[in-house]
Amino acid sequence: MPGPAQFGYSDAAARPLAELLACPPAVANLLNASAESIECDTGSVIFRQGDPCLGLYLVISGRLLRKAERFAARLTLGAMQGGGLAELAAALGDGRHTYSLVAQAPSSLLMLRIDTLHRAFQAYPPLRMQLLQELAREVSRCYLACTAARFKEFRRSGGNPLPRVGR
Amino acid sequence: MAGLHSHHPPEDCLNCEHRHLRMFCNLTPEALREYDSIGIMMSHARGAKLFSEGDAARNVFIICFGQVKISSTSRDGKTMILKIAGPGDVMGLSAVLANVPHEVTAEAIEPCQVKTVRKQEFVDFLGRHGIASMHAAQALSGEYLTVFHDAKRLALSGSAAGRLARLLLDWGRSASNGKPDIRFTMALTHEEIANMAGTSRETVTRLLNQFRRDQWITIKGSSMTIVKPEQLERLTA
Repeated sequence: MPGPAQFGYSDAAARPLAELLACPPAVANLLNASAESIECDTGSVIFRQGDPCLGLYLVISGRLLRKAERFAARLTLGAMQGGGLAELAAALGDGRHTYSLVAQAPSSLLMLRIDTLHRAFQAYPPLRMQLLQELAREVSRCYLACTAARFKEFRRSGGNPLPRVGR
Repeated sequence: MAGLHSHHPPEDCLNCEHRHLRMFCNLTPEALREYDSIGIMMSHARGAKLFSEGDAARNVFIICFGQVKISSTSRDGKTMILKIAGPGDVMGLSAVLANVPHEVTAEAIEPCQVKTVRKQEFVDFLGRHGIASMHAAQALSGEYLTVFHDAKRLALSGSAAGRLARLLLDWGRSASNGKPDIRFTMALTHEEIANMAGTSRETVTRLLNQFRRDQWITIKGSSMTIVKPEQLERLTA
């Protein structure tokens, strides 16, 4: 069975990858064959908000920032480090990136193609439950972050949940 | 927000005339037969709480008809409305699958019919049917996008008028389902709309009156029609 060692990465950083690849050989080979390695320098844009999502991104090493924009306004959503999964919601959902991912330091990622991910999702029930659980945790975190941000602004604005505009 | 209102509540999933219009329930015959056999159909009166923030997540809820307010309450008792869920929406899914307490409170804002499925029964069903899992993934992704866009709209929209215009357009387009007539039922109070748009009740009342005077919208009772969507669209820019 292929594993993270095959890609030459540390166990800790590759934990989600190891879990993803802990499938029967046929499914693991399918994922393995479609995986594309991405090496990037500081400032490189891995994908842009609104662009079609090509697949699921696994951060192997380095540091990346998730950034959202609307017209001239910009917002940094948070950082991603080794072991992080990016854009599971886009890969399993509407297929469009919800934010941009930019390297803050030289980084390595692995991208699993969307069509292969869907085939593996259909073929192997434990993998799909694992991806569903990961996606559910992402939704849960998003709820908490959104709520916390709104209440913070609510208190700051003295009653109205009006957010600060990051222009 | 208005969604699809049915005057003929379905008795069961197999005979539901709206099934093909709804993402989650549009299953293969085999999956549908099993889906029909699990859970129970429950009716809820306006104001009924389906679950509360912090409760253990024991069930997944699928709305058959009616609308449900999804909100969150701060420690000092202030309530924020995050979204209005409508027919076909799945509630409680993220908490059930992530094995965490409910992140939000769900309250019926009109009489509702909701299919309620126990956690383990739902997880087993997903494990057996790939199509149901894919629909669950799409429901979760949709939920993620809604929350994400809500946060982004609030954080990055410059004016209260722009945020209110975006809300009205979103609700109108979702209810009109591609029809040219953008009309929907306004089930929320101005206070509740203000919570969603990130502004005050007074501002919502003033802006709605202004939109009406400019003949961009018309309001008859609880029914709102967007007459000039392009004008509202311009405000959101």
